Amino acid sequence: MDVVTLFLACLASFGRMLTAYIISLIIAIVLGISMARRRYVEAILMPILDILQSIPILGFFPIAIVLFLIFLPKNIGLELASVFLITTSLVWNMIFGVYSAIKSLDPEVFTMADVYKMKRFSKLAYIYVPVAKVAIVANSVISWAGGWFFLTSAEIMASGSEEHKLFGIGSLIIDFYSSGKTTEFYIAIVLLFIIIMMSYIMIFNPATNTVLQQHILLAFDKIFYYIYKLISILWGFIVSIGIKIESRRTSFHLATLAIPVIALSYPLRSNITNLYYLFLLEFIKNFLLSLGRVVFVVITSFILTIGIAYLAIVRRWGSSIVFIGEILASIPAILWWPLLSPFVVSLPWLVSFIVFLQGSLWYEFFNVILFGVPKIRVEVLDLAKIYRIRGFSYFRYILIPSLMPSIASGALSAWGGAWNASIVAEYFESSGRIVDLGGVGSMLSRYTYSGSYGYVLFTVLLWALMIAILNKVFWSRVFKLVEKTFIVE
Amino acid sequence: MKPLVSLVNIVKSFGGKGKALKVLDGISLDINEEFLAILGPSGCGKSTLLRIIAGVEKPDEGEIKSYSDIVYGFIFQSPTLLPWLTVLDNVALPLLAKGIDKNIAREKALRYLSLVGLHGFEDFYPNELSGGMKQRVNIARALVVEPTILLMDEPFSQLDPLTAEALRAEILDLWLSGVTTVKGIVMVTHNVEEAVLMADRIIILTPRPAKIVKIIEVKLPRPRDRRSKEFQDIVDQVYEYVS
Repeated sequence: MDVVTLFLACLASFGRMLTAYIISLIIAIVLGISMARRRYVEAILMPILDILQSIPILGFFPIAIVLFLIFLPKNIGLELASVFLITTSLVWNMIFGVYSAIKSLDPEVFTMADVYKMKRFSKLAYIYVPVAKVAIVANSVISWAGGWFFLTSAEIMASGSEEHKLFGIGSLIIDFYSSGKTTEFYIAIVLLFIIIMMSYIMIFNPATNTVLQQHILLAFDKIFYYIYKLISILWGFIVSIGIKIESRRTSFHLATLAIPVIALSYPLRSNITNLYYLFLLEFIKNFLLSLGRVVFVVITSFILTIGIAYLAIVRRWGSSIVFIGEILASIPAILWWPLLSPFVVSLPWLVSFIVFLQGSLWYEFFNVILFGVPKIRVEVLDLAKIYRIRGFSYFRYILIPSLMPSIASGALSAWGGAWNASIVAEYFESSGRIVDLGGVGSMLSRYTYSGSYGYVLFTVLLWALMIAILNKVFWSRVFKLVEKTFIVE
Repeated sequence: MKPLVSLVNIVKSFGGKGKALKVLDGISLDINEEFLAILGPSGCGKSTLLRIIAGVEKPDEGEIKSYSDIVYGFIFQSPTLLPWLTVLDNVALPLLAKGIDKNIAREKALRYLSLVGLHGFEDFYPNELSGGMKQRVNIARALVVEPTILLMDEPFSQLDPLTAEALRAEILDLWLSGVTTVKGIVMVTHNVEEAVLMADRIIILTPRPAKIVKIIEVKLPRPRDRRSKEFQDIVDQVYEYVS
C-alpha cells in the first residue's frame, strides 16, 4: 500500500468537506438572516427547508447529476456534485441555528439599529454574526460529523452501470473492503479517525470553547489560536471594507443568493396509470415500514440523550462524553456494515438499527448537551437538591422540563437525520453481498444505484409530501406546546 | 423663533385590512429649542409618535418638516445594549456603523462616557453593570451622534426611584449646561410629576387613537421643587386632562 496515496486521499476528502462546510456557512448566514428578518422569506422557505432536511443525500442525486455532470466537464462536474451532496447533509441545521438565534433577539435591538441608521454590513458585523455565533459553532460540530457520516455516499456516485468514483479516503476504504484487503482497510479507517479527531480537537472544539467562553470541550488550542487570528483579521477586513462602501452609497444591496431549482421531468411513457398505482402502493408500504423504524430510533435517541445529559450534569462528564460523541457521530455510515460484518448475516436488523441511531442520535445529543445543559438554571437544580427530588421524579419534574426546548429542536433534527440515514441503514451492497431490509431508504438506494432516476424523483416527491404532512400534523404542534409551556425566562 | 421641527397632521394605524387600529389621529406639533414632554396613558401611541419623529416608522398621513439638518439621538426605555460589545463599543456603535475610523469613534465615545459619569467602565461588558449604569450607557450612545434633538422613550421608568431621580437631574444639567449638542428634548412619559419636573411644555394625549387634548406650559424656574405649591398646582392642572 502506498502511504502517499493514502495521505493524498485524506487531503482530498478533507478538502471536499471543508469546501462544503464553507459554502454551508455562507448559505446559513445569508438564508438564516433573511428568514429571521423578512416575513415573506420565512413563510416561503421555512416549510421547504423543513422538508429538505429530511430528504437523504441520495435524494439530491438527480439534481446533482443534472446540475453538474451534464453541463460541465466530467472531472470538474464530479467534484462539484460531490461538494454539493456533502453540502446537503451539512447545511440545514446550520440555517435553522442562525435563524432561531436572530429570531429570538429582543426586537428593540432592531429599532436601535434603525435609529442609528445601521445598514446591512454594520448589522451583519455588530448584530447578526455576534448573536448567531454560538448557534453557528454548535451546529458546525453537528454538521461536520454529519458530513463525514455520508462521505462515502458523496464519493462514490453510481448511476446505473456506470460508477463515478472520486479519489478520497471514503472511496478508498470501500475499495479496500470490496477487494478484501483487510489490513489496508483497517489502516485507512484508523487514518480517517485520526483526521476526524484532529479536526475536532484543533478546529471545532476550540472554536466552540472560545465562543461559549467555557471550557466544555476537549481541545488543543495552540494551532487554533492562529486560525482564529487569521479569521479575525480576514473578517475585520471584510467588515471594514463593507461598511466603508455602504456608508458612501445610500443603499447597498448584498447579492441575494438564489438557489436554482431545476425542474426535472422524466416521462414514464407506457402503462402510466397502472405503473403509478403499483408504485404508489409499494411506496406507502415501504414508507410505513421506515416510519416505524424512524419513530423507534427517535425515541431511543431521546432516552439515551436524557441518560447522558444526567451523567453530564450530575457526574460532570460533559467534555469527555461530547468528544466520544463527536468521533462516533463522524464514522461514515457505510463503514458500520463492514465494521460489524460478523453480525451482518445473523443480525442484519441490529446493524441497521446502529446505523439508524448513528444518523439520528447525535442531533438530539449535541442539541441537548451543547444548548440545553449549559442553559439549565442553577436555581432549578438547587430546588431539586433542597427538596430532595430524586429518581423518576427528578427526570419527570426537573431534568426533562428544563431541557425541553433543546430536546424538541434536537428531536426534530434527529427525525430528519433518521430519515436521511434510512438510505444507508436499510440497504447495503458490497462485493456481491446485498443486505436489503425494505423501507423507503432501501427503495431510494436501489433506484439510485440502478440509475432509474424517474423513480428516484417520484420517490423523493412522495417522500417530501409525506414529511410535509407529518411536520404539519405532528411537529408544529409539539413546538407550539413547548413554546407555551417550557420556556423559562 | 423658528421651530426645529414641525409635525403636521400625523396619522398612523396598525394592522391589516379590515381590522386596522388607529393609534395616532392627526397630531400637529412644533418642536422648539425646549424640553417637551408627551404625556398619555399606556398604549396610546406615544412611543409610536417618537418612532415616527426618529424616522424609524413612516406615518400613514401627514409629514415631518425640518428646517435645518436635524440629527436625532434616541434613549430607549430599556437600555438595549449589545451584550457582546464592550461598553465603549456600544457607545461608539452608531459612529462605527457610519464607517468612521475606529480610533476616532472610540475617542469620542470615551468623551461622552465620561460625561455621563462612566469613566473607567469602558472595557466592561453590559452584563457587568447595574441598571442605572446601563441606562447611562444608553444616554452616552444617544449623545455620541451629536444630536440636535434628543428623543427619550420613558427613559426612567425601569429604574429604581433613587437612580431615576438622580438621572433626571443629570439629563437636565447636561442639557442646560450646553456641554452637549442637544437643542431640544422630546420625552415620552406616563409619569405626571416627572413631566412637570422636567418639561417646558407638556403635551397631553387622549387614549387611543391619540389626539392632543391640551398643551400646558410650565414656567417654573429650575431646579424645581416638587413640594412647592406652584408645582403641585401644575400637577393638579395636568391631572384634570389625563383621563
